[in-house]
Amino acid sequence: MKDESRGEDEVSDALAIERARSGDEQAFGLLVHRHHASAYRVALSITRRDDVAQDVVQDAFMKALRALDGFRGDASFRTWMMTITANEARATLRRRGRWSEAPIDDVAPIASDDPNPAEQAVSGNESARARALLETLPEKQRLSVSLRIDDGLSFREIGEMIGSSEGAARVNYFHGIRRLRELMQ
Amino acid sequence: MSQTECGSVREVLPDFASHRLATEGRDAIERHLRSCGECSAELEVIRALMGAPPAIPEGLADDVLSALHVRRAPRRPWWGLTAAAVAAVAIGIGVSADRSATVAGAIPGWATETGEGQVWLSDDGLLAGAPSIDGLSDEALMQLLDDLSVEGAV
Repeated sequence: MKDESRGEDEVSDALAIERARSGDEQAFGLLVHRHHASAYRVALSITRRDDVAQDVVQDAFMKALRALDGFRGDASFRTWMMTITANEARATLRRRGRWSEAPIDDVAPIASDDPNPAEQAVSGNESARARALLETLPEKQRLSVSLRIDDGLSFREIGEMIGSSEGAARVNYFHGIRRLRELMQ
Repeated sequence: MSQTECGSVREVLPDFASHRLATEGRDAIERHLRSCGECSAELEVIRALMGAPPAIPEGLADDVLSALHVRRAPRRPWWGLTAAAVAAVAIGIGVSADRSATVAGAIPGWATETGEGQVWLSDDGLLAGAPSIDGLSDEALMQLLDDLSVEGAV
């Protein structure tokens, strides 16, 4: 078959989804390889912990696989996958918060052995400092900036991801950027 | 420098910084940046962020795929499904497998857990002092953006 002779990069998401729906393991594997980085960045932005983010990505792809038949293609597969990941990340934080009886924000340091963001901000170079300061912003600002900068999403797509309108996503992004400018001065 | 021009430029600065703009668009942005300190300062923040993107854990994709295999139900191996289908045909029942039931674990042997599978969105805009803007109209949001531009241009 003609499609089977194509390289992985030439197989569209739509075709990979169609094949995965009919039981093609490699096709779903292709989707995982293609979109796991975006999913991880979303999970990390919300959970702020690498180990938790990796677990979230695994669970999110599990849910995506289960829900694959319901994917209608209204949004891109990447945006759909990132939304599932964001939801899974928030659910994970709520579960962990409940288990530890601690507020959600208290269970999300960047990494257990890392210095806190303020310490990183004074010791690192400008890029590391900017990243550390980004971690200090509220979730929607943090996520809006990260999705725009790291994944190039449009404000409409960001709005879908954070559960807001396109306009609200735009405001969150510019609030976040302005706050970073202030913090970096 | 007009707010309108700055607003248009700021909108696409991430695309400019990551070379996603066409040459014509890039030239216009570069001309604007030469005479606008505010947009140039914002570009520096964006470039700083782009200079240290989050590292993706090596092998994460393979770990995800391995986890999907590990979680498969041992009672339903791939060959087991085939044998069940053959048996069903043999006794004349036929296999009228509901496609949605199959896709609940779309890949044979994968993802056989059941759960709510619902996509939901939380509204935590008030966390950590985030501005409460979700209920605002488009007009109010545009006003807020204008205010941001004015404050940023000081």
